[in-house]
Amino acid sequence: MTRVKMISVWFGGVLFLAGVAGILESGAADVFLEVTRPDFQKISLGIAGIQNGGGPDWLGGRIEEVLKKDVKRSLVFDLVDLPSLGITPSDIGNGTGTGSKAVFKQVAEKGVSVLVWGKAVMKEAQKDADVNMEGFVYDSGSDEVVGGKRYAGSPSVVRLMAHRFVDELVFRYTGEPGIARTKIAYVAQQGTARELFVMDYDGYDARQLTADGFLNLMPQWSPDRRFLVFTAYRDRNTQNIDMIELATGKRWTLISLGGLNITPALSPDGNFLAFASSHEGNSELYRLDTRTKGIQRLTVNPSGDLSPSWSPNGRELVFVSDRGGGPQLFLMGSDGTNVRRLTFDGDYNAAPAWSPRGNWIAYVCRTQREYKLCVISPDGQKRMQLTTGPGVDDSPSWSPDGRHLVFSSTVDGKSHIYMIGADGKDLERLTFQGTHNSAPSWSPAS
Amino acid sequence: MNKTLCTFGVVLVASAALIGMPGCGKKSVQSGGDAQSTQRSADSSKSGVGSYPDTSVQSGGGGLRGLDKNPSEERVGSGTMLAKIDPSSNAGRQMDEIRAEQAASAAAGLRDVFFAYDSWTITEEGRQALSRDAEWIKSNPNALLKIEGHCDERGTSAYNLVLGEKRAKAARNYLVELGVGANRLSVVSYGKERPVCTEHAESCYQQNRRGHLVVKAGK
Repeated sequence: MTRVKMISVWFGGVLFLAGVAGILESGAADVFLEVTRPDFQKISLGIAGIQNGGGPDWLGGRIEEVLKKDVKRSLVFDLVDLPSLGITPSDIGNGTGTGSKAVFKQVAEKGVSVLVWGKAVMKEAQKDADVNMEGFVYDSGSDEVVGGKRYAGSPSVVRLMAHRFVDELVFRYTGEPGIARTKIAYVAQQGTARELFVMDYDGYDARQLTADGFLNLMPQWSPDRRFLVFTAYRDRNTQNIDMIELATGKRWTLISLGGLNITPALSPDGNFLAFASSHEGNSELYRLDTRTKGIQRLTVNPSGDLSPSWSPNGRELVFVSDRGGGPQLFLMGSDGTNVRRLTFDGDYNAAPAWSPRGNWIAYVCRTQREYKLCVISPDGQKRMQLTTGPGVDDSPSWSPDGRHLVFSSTVDGKSHIYMIGADGKDLERLTFQGTHNSAPSWSPAS
Repeated sequence: MNKTLCTFGVVLVASAALIGMPGCGKKSVQSGGDAQSTQRSADSSKSGVGSYPDTSVQSGGGGLRGLDKNPSEERVGSGTMLAKIDPSSNAGRQMDEIRAEQAASAAAGLRDVFFAYDSWTITEEGRQALSRDAEWIKSNPNALLKIEGHCDERGTSAYNLVLGEKRAKAARNYLVELGVGANRLSVVSYGKERPVCTEHAESCYQQNRRGHLVVKAGK
């Protein structure tokens, strides 16, 4: 592995354990580099405004605000403040695809790679009025307007238009679809019950999926984004693994073996469901072949085994076991062979999530008596703590681009959902309503 | 930590009816052994498994069509990949049943058993509480009981579900030792998902680390 000159990346003044600080510090430097790979500088991008071509005052501004936040969150682009370069929205012209040669020249001279502008219109006649949005892209490298998009839809999809546009931008410059249209499934308190919800990746547009008045826990997405698997107690006394189809709300029980049935996780190809069950005594890991319905037991151990997470190629699982005393992360082949311990730092490591890029496993680590987020490489060589301070962090889940994590935390008192960069930067709170939001699961990219 | 004092026996017999007994051996640190299990896999118990749809990814690209120099209009859907839920009367029914259980349990004067941090060992106080509970259960031979395992907010949701089950089973096993029929006792873990209080303080945590006995309403 390339050793780079040590960059001290002490996120928020992390207090690492004495003695291993050197190792961790170099690990932190590696993380920083990995995240900014593949060796690109962020691409500088300016948004010259979405002009209001008619309709309510908020329209252009709202689209522009969503665009800017999406561009920042992409971690692909570096959002440039155009007014500080002397460029104002009105300079770009009337928001059409022609743009302004003078502005292009200015942008290129300032070293801005990409310029985005556009126009939005709403016909306000009736409630289900149509919104039209146009967005255009100038690339200073090729010195041309490389293209644009025209969207139409109801006012309720204004944010979605902006998300879609940014996903197109990310796709154009990285070949990856972007995460602006991904969703986050989670659990929210409703009275005395905990129900499943799904929201946009930026915390907007939360929708309730279940209403059985008791407990629903730990949703996980199917690879095609059409279903969630989760732990449910529909009659309060037994715990099953249920499946729900998002588009229809149709729901059924997938696993009902008796005992504890928790932490379901579908393999990346959807052919296997790994889960923990105590129906044969204590909590063990099992694997359901979703085609044959055969169940294979993966662990045999008097201690608790739980929380499986698949490697992106589906060949391995990382899981939690307390066979050594406290909970620690272990790796094994997805058929239960070749078990080996992954974590050795600290006496409590749990809730692992394998990055979709394969290079990191995020998990909850106990440090200074608090439960914080850590990442470790699957070979155990690199490790870094991402969050600090008080509170219980739980349930890390990766964005499909592997650049972000979503997790729950009690850092602000009540349990809420937060997003953080894989390098521990850019912490953003996503939920503000209610008394308890937890167990976030990031959807695959569409 | 006294978690090593008491753990469940190795009960890995195929019968799902077998239950863990409160042995007091040391928790074994087992590193091998897992691989062997896969040989005797392919469980015949297809019961307990529901239907599974095709979830393989049908299309890639997420409907992105790329930037276009002369873009044609794309209709953006209303984002209704989500069905509207029908807030059924289910929640109301659950509340009624929970209230009935609470009333029956309060009338019986059942006592909860409390645990130390990260522990599922029954303390001396816990034994006294369970002894009184056992008396009531024996003198009410028709009552069926549920033992709920609960945890405080510290630690992960998933690991606390396992811990909650250990607590519930420890309480059940002690009641069985006292002569209560195992068939009258069911266990369920709620982990840290149904706390009785939500302050971030030990005074609250200790109330949440409990085995809660409930007289089951109906069947």
